[in-house]
Amino acid sequence: MKRSIAQALVVVRKELKDAFRDRRAIYSVLFGALFGPIMVGFMISAVADRERELDDVTIPVVGREFAPALMEWLGQQAGVTVVSGPGDPEEAVRTQAEAVVVVVPEEYAERFRASRPVEIRIVSDGSRRQSRSKVERVRALLQRYGSEVAAMRLIGRGVSPSVVRPLDLEDVEVSSAQQRAAAVLNFIPMFMVLAAFTGGMQIATDSTAGERERGSLEPLLVNPAPRAVIAGGKWLAASCSSMLSMCLTTALCLAVMRAIPLQDLGIRFRMGPEQVVGLVAGGLPLCLLATALQAYLATFARSFKEAQSYMGFLIMVPMLPGLVSTVYPIASQPWMYPMPLLGQHVLLADVLGGKTPGPLVFVVAALTTLAAALVLVRLLTGLLGRERIVFGR
Amino acid sequence: MIRVEHLHKRFGEVTAVDDVSFVAPDGAVTGLLGHNGAGKTTTLRMLYGLMRPDAGRILVDDVDAVAAPQDAQARLGVLPDVSGLYPRLTPREHIHYYGELQGLSRARILARADEQVHILDMTAIADRRTAGFSHGERTKVAIARALVHDPRNVLLDEPTNGLDVMSTRAVRDIIRRLRADGRTVVFSSHVMQEVSALCDAIVIMAHGRIVAAGSPDALRRQTGHESLEDAFVALTGLHAGEGA
Repeated sequence: MKRSIAQALVVVRKELKDAFRDRRAIYSVLFGALFGPIMVGFMISAVADRERELDDVTIPVVGREFAPALMEWLGQQAGVTVVSGPGDPEEAVRTQAEAVVVVVPEEYAERFRASRPVEIRIVSDGSRRQSRSKVERVRALLQRYGSEVAAMRLIGRGVSPSVVRPLDLEDVEVSSAQQRAAAVLNFIPMFMVLAAFTGGMQIATDSTAGERERGSLEPLLVNPAPRAVIAGGKWLAASCSSMLSMCLTTALCLAVMRAIPLQDLGIRFRMGPEQVVGLVAGGLPLCLLATALQAYLATFARSFKEAQSYMGFLIMVPMLPGLVSTVYPIASQPWMYPMPLLGQHVLLADVLGGKTPGPLVFVVAALTTLAAALVLVRLLTGLLGRERIVFGR
Repeated sequence: MIRVEHLHKRFGEVTAVDDVSFVAPDGAVTGLLGHNGAGKTTTLRMLYGLMRPDAGRILVDDVDAVAAPQDAQARLGVLPDVSGLYPRLTPREHIHYYGELQGLSRARILARADEQVHILDMTAIADRRTAGFSHGERTKVAIARALVHDPRNVLLDEPTNGLDVMSTRAVRDIIRRLRADGRTVVFSSHVMQEVSALCDAIVIMAHGRIVAAGSPDALRRQTGHESLEDAFVALTGLHAGEGA
């Protein structure tokens, strides 16, 4: 047993030394690790910009002079600036010079005084999704002004405004601010999983398919080391690289999140030591499974290139829960945690959502994932004993 | 010493090795001679434990190589048919890797590496990465790492195949040196001159079977041919002109 561990470590050391002299290996670890944080940075700043745009809204109004009271009220609202509208509002919106233009008619004051409805036009392009929230904001502001005026008029006539308000609508948001942040941050687990797969890929393929291609597998297996030890050493070396990649991605993602002032978005994103430990403890076991799967599949390939084409398909698998959850947020359910891959995904989402589960859940998720990885390493060991694999080139 | 008794190996319908028995004694070079496909490589692969015979027994220094392949492997130095290197490691690192897998101490590995680099005349290339090495240099590295644990028994599968004159001489020197040290050397070849120049005993194989075995002189007497090459052709059942 002691000898086997020593031999496995010999294989680990050799594979790591070999890989770190390989530019392709270093690039693949770096690319996998940097891709996520860069994307997170872009996506979050895009969201942040849009949120800020919503907060600070500039409303171009044609005919400001006809409704000074309304203009004054608008100007008093937080983040709202009123400017003069363009000469041809419809053309301005059509050419996308403006997202929305408000047109106040000349007879505003006259009709207002007579308590008759005034037609105020909101010119917008319904096919432009980006402007929709701004249009909604403008509509809501004008409606609120309308109801305030209506309430005043009713009071003036001795009627309680509540008479004409049979329903009182109130939005109750059940998700915590942390959870809403997690919805935005749902892609971080996806990038962590991606980093696990890209980080270990090079060693997992080079030490199996590459070894076959070079013809170095046969002499290696002539050494008096059990095949399980050889397979285990290759797997652990790939896992080291994969874990390094995942840690790097996690650290950089968190650094990016720190750098972007999320509070401005109304998102309270707390990233204490508990979350960092949770992310790492939840994610790392996946590295063991990812590399076991890669090494097992790559061993069927006769060449490094052939193995890489398998890896291309394989990378789609871990992306699935991530992709699905960006469209349909997955609510974590107890049965999901012990499922390898899915378990890591919900665990990481929970941690980011500020709902870190108890340590037992982490242990169970890690153990089932490790068990799946060990089954694959066992299968890999079997492959190394197959004459067709050892001698077939 | 290596003792092979009634070895059989089939691949589907093809019988690759059929009732092969021979003894390779200490301090002697035993040559496995035969055309390509005669079963030499398959026989060697069973000896070094990467192929399981369908029947038969293999003893390496009294260790049953079929029942305990790893114990046998610890007593064997092997240069397989295909001996690929790691292009990003140096020859010295190749020797270290195999020495560590053999379980040698660090001091012993360092000493053996120096020894092998000296004997195989690799001083100039010992600390360069092996990418771009010539065929002869690659063979030297493969031999050096295979012999790091100073094995009692050495198996070489076509060690001089494709080598230039100088490298061939170097390999022959290694084989003679191993014999002088009292090692058991078994090597395969399809080249008559190679075998006749080095071997104390020759095992001639054809179609998976041993067709003749003995010292070069005995084989000449047995077939009535003066030249060993004629004897080889006569024994393997091929007409002159088609031979190796």
